[in-house]
Amino acid sequence: MDIKDLKSLIKMVTETDITEFELEGAEEKIRIKRGCTAPMVQYQAPQPMVAMQPAMVQAAAPAASAAPVEAVAPAAAKAKGNEITSPIVGTFYRAPAPDAAPYVEVGQIVEKGQVLCIVEAMKLMNEIEAEYRCKIVEICKENAQPVEFGEALFIVEPL
Amino acid sequence: MSGELPRPDAIGSKEIDRKILEIFRSRDGGVVSGEELSRSLDVSRTAVWKHIKTLNGLGYRIEAVPSRGYRLVSTPDILTPAELSVGLNVARIGTSLVFVGETDSTNTLAYRLAEDGAVEGTVVIADAQNRGRGRLGRQWESPAGVNLYCSIVLRPPIMPLHAPQLTFLSAVAVAEAIERSAGLAPVIKWPNDVLVNGFKVAGMLNEMSAETERIDFLVLGIGVNINMQRDQFPADLRHPASSLAIEAGHEVSRLSFTRALLESLDVHYSQYRAEGYAPLRQAWLGRSAVMGRRVRVSGNQGDMAGTVEGIDEIGALLLRTADGTLERVLAGDVTIEE
Repeated sequence: MDIKDLKSLIKMVTETDITEFELEGAEEKIRIKRGCTAPMVQYQAPQPMVAMQPAMVQAAAPAASAAPVEAVAPAAAKAKGNEITSPIVGTFYRAPAPDAAPYVEVGQIVEKGQVLCIVEAMKLMNEIEAEYRCKIVEICKENAQPVEFGEALFIVEPL
Repeated sequence: MSGELPRPDAIGSKEIDRKILEIFRSRDGGVVSGEELSRSLDVSRTAVWKHIKTLNGLGYRIEAVPSRGYRLVSTPDILTPAELSVGLNVARIGTSLVFVGETDSTNTLAYRLAEDGAVEGTVVIADAQNRGRGRLGRQWESPAGVNLYCSIVLRPPIMPLHAPQLTFLSAVAVAEAIERSAGLAPVIKWPNDVLVNGFKVAGMLNEMSAETERIDFLVLGIGVNINMQRDQFPADLRHPASSLAIEAGHEVSRLSFTRALLESLDVHYSQYRAEGYAPLRQAWLGRSAVMGRRVRVSGNQGDMAGTVEGIDEIGALLLRTADGTLERVLAGDVTIEE
């Protein structure tokens, strides 16, 4: 399976309610498992793969802090992309209200200026917006968790 | 809400009405002839009569004195720029006033006006809000005619990192205005709950638009229960709430309160811009209900107890716990332990 197919597969899975997906062929075994914030990808090849393999995992497997990637492939997957960091020390909120839908989900494509989350400090609400059109690769924090100044909130892929 | 943004002078303060009121005020209750009004305003005497009818509809009492003219008897307690600006002594905050009869939320309107270039110090006031809101989507009860709902646009030349300091600005100013205009003795709970006799009388919601190293603007939202009566409060409140009138035992002028608030904000904000956070922090500590007290803080990260030693550079609560360590609390609900 090439990287393009793997990417579409992940996209397909994240767009549904499926939480776990496994595909086993003669030469490879692919397992996609979704945690609460980010999908997890496990890629296993029976034989050592060609050099592109780590890149494949890197591009496709966002490393969620909550659900570590059990990458069997060499070199643990580290998400590739740009970080969106917190401009203030505070509390991270994924939704405008506790009973509201999150602003964004992993895999979602967001437009420039779209709100991604709120960071609250001392009752000051700071809506973090996308500074460019991008795809959410990873959500680095869980809802209502403290964040430090400069800490990554999202990993995104500019489009 | 309609898509059109109101222009500061387009709402509730028609230029001609404002001029008529100015002329009456300059006479201090004296009679002004219809002919003089018509000449000064450069409109017909019929037009003068129509404007006076409009003003009476807004709650002004302008009497016709047979064969002599008109006389301003009394003015209503409304928060239009024409009224609010009378005797208002400010350098920055409140130099641009926007009033609307009703809006969804003054914060939403102020945020949009700020995105549209509203100057620092612009104050947006609504007589009523139909979607008044607090933190995290909570509702703020906003009936017409009794309270203050306002939002202030600031553009401080500071790092976003330091913006939470301004949470303490509105808390201090609200407390001062309550003291000055209603004669009550408010205290502030960390970080910005203003309490009178233990009841919450004000709510504040601050919002920021910023890049990593630069603040575009801040909106300080302030709602104060001024003359709201008991039967106007919703039944399911998170905190025991009250109004200034209930606690003082008499009505409080919304105009006096609002002028006092804008003047306090103006003084502390000018000082903040000139001297930084230290004086504001001192002012907050001076009115704090928690300083030196044993408190319990409950938040997303669990409970913590200790004695309050102050607030740090960004306003985090400094708590000395039982084992002697100094904890820095960034969020949570504070309860004072007796």
